[in-house]
Amino acid sequence: MADTGNFQAPADLNRWRTIALGVGGVALIIWAIGTYLNPEQGLRSWLLGFVLFGGIGLGCLGVLLLGYLTGGAWAVATRRAAEAGSRTLPVIFVLFLPLAFGIKRLYEWTHIPATEHIMQHRGWFMTPESWILRSAVYFILFGVMVFLLNKWGREQDKTNNYEDAEKFLGRATAFSGPAMVFYSLLVTFASVDWVMTLDPHYFSTIWGLLFVAGWALSAFCFLVAVLAFLSDKAPMDRVLGRRHFHDLGKLILALVMIWAYFNFSQFLIIWSGNIPEETVWFQARMYHGWGYVAWALILFHFAAPFLVLLLQDLKRRAKTLAKVAVFILVMRWLDMLWLISPTPRISTHGATLGFIDSFSWMDIVAPIAVGGIWLWYFSTQLMKRPLVPVMDPFLEKAIEHGHGH
Amino acid sequence: MDSNLYGVMAEFDTPTAVVDAANKVRLAGYTKTDAFSPFPLHEIDEALGIRRSILPFLVFCGGVIGMLSGFALQIFIHYIDYPLNIGGRPYLSWPSFIPPAYELTILFGGFTAVFGMLFLNGLPRPYHPVFNVPRFALASREKFFLLIEAADDKYNYDETTSFMRSLGPQEVFDVPE
Repeated sequence: MADTGNFQAPADLNRWRTIALGVGGVALIIWAIGTYLNPEQGLRSWLLGFVLFGGIGLGCLGVLLLGYLTGGAWAVATRRAAEAGSRTLPVIFVLFLPLAFGIKRLYEWTHIPATEHIMQHRGWFMTPESWILRSAVYFILFGVMVFLLNKWGREQDKTNNYEDAEKFLGRATAFSGPAMVFYSLLVTFASVDWVMTLDPHYFSTIWGLLFVAGWALSAFCFLVAVLAFLSDKAPMDRVLGRRHFHDLGKLILALVMIWAYFNFSQFLIIWSGNIPEETVWFQARMYHGWGYVAWALILFHFAAPFLVLLLQDLKRRAKTLAKVAVFILVMRWLDMLWLISPTPRISTHGATLGFIDSFSWMDIVAPIAVGGIWLWYFSTQLMKRPLVPVMDPFLEKAIEHGHGH
Repeated sequence: MDSNLYGVMAEFDTPTAVVDAANKVRLAGYTKTDAFSPFPLHEIDEALGIRRSILPFLVFCGGVIGMLSGFALQIFIHYIDYPLNIGGRPYLSWPSFIPPAYELTILFGGFTAVFGMLFLNGLPRPYHPVFNVPRFALASREKFFLLIEAADDKYNYDETTSFMRSLGPQEVFDVPE
């Protein structure tokens, strides 16, 4: 069997943890000052950071479920890191609170009278109270999944025989099937509530899938970056091989394609339909500077990563793949900016703004604040448990797979 | 010595034995070699010095050609040959050209993969001399075979046969043409 020795995270993670908290803290103070002066922009930028890093955390939960469902060496190699990502849920909830408290300064629909045509048929569903109640339900249900999967993972590590270890693996696998269905539904509802309602006139049925795939992409990119960082240090240098990164690179390639596919489906249907109430959403995102951002997304969120990730050798080199992954994460930020920033604002009485007028320095500072705090909490969680499922019946096979041809 | 020999073949019992032997064959300088196994042996490519296939590159080119022909076809039809007003959209409605161009990318890529694989493998090939060795049928069941072709520059019947014997095989066969 595999070496069940010490699989604790390396000590120099501690340094990075402190740096993340320091940078996040400073950015948080700067953001707080900016938000005091311009609450609406501050909250929008916070939402951007929240969707970006909260998306990584929730995406890690999705990756965890996917890993249990499909099996495979990549699932075993990433499991404990993905679990640590999913355990950031409490901090994601704390980072959500500014949005809940600032709901009336962030969402234009909270100011639209209930008698308006657009609000008439939405009734109680589109009230701040039910919005907050729904968000609480999302966090509780995500929390149940995170709690159970992490509980079984911890209990599996503590067993001393393979029969028990297999039992916990089986339990998590059986749970992951139905949980995946609920996870996708929850992400759909959450992304609609948190992001799509920014523009109360827009509706898209593929919206939820855009976030399911987008958050999974974020999570895989983040996990690759973390594993590449750990790959040349003890203990993970004994575990991770070039084929693990090859497999993860293939998954990132697939998700990059799915992201483009979903986005294009949405665009093509609305473009072909050419109905004013739908096209106005794209109009705000295709003109007045936002068109350049849209082209940048096509070229650098899809085309460039797609072409680069076709190369087999690149996917097998951990550090190079990690660079591509971090680049995609930056593009995820741009994608979220493109979704959030051009939406109608309260301060403009529902008008949309061009790129120059709507882009704010807080769109950079707030994600750094959210990201710093989130990364600090993630590192804390990562250091708490062994980095690999030490008792997993497939661990030895998974390690062997990584070093094969 | 039979002048009509295709090559010399050795039979091995285990995958490790055939990979070890293949390494020695490569180090001895033989290039026109081949190995046969009942299941994929990933190590054998490296052991025999088989270079990576150019097939992925061909498939990529096939895909690009497919995409370009998809766009060219639609631009020719909708913009040059028979411009038709569809829902008031411009004749050169490239967003709506993407799905067919995408399908042709997949189609051409798929065809290149299948036919390129057959071509690079030299298939279909109704006759191959290795089947003249009766025990070769075991290559699809439990035995591993290593072949050095007579066309190899270093090939010399006596030397190559005794070299094969030195690799510790179960048996060494002459493969008649």
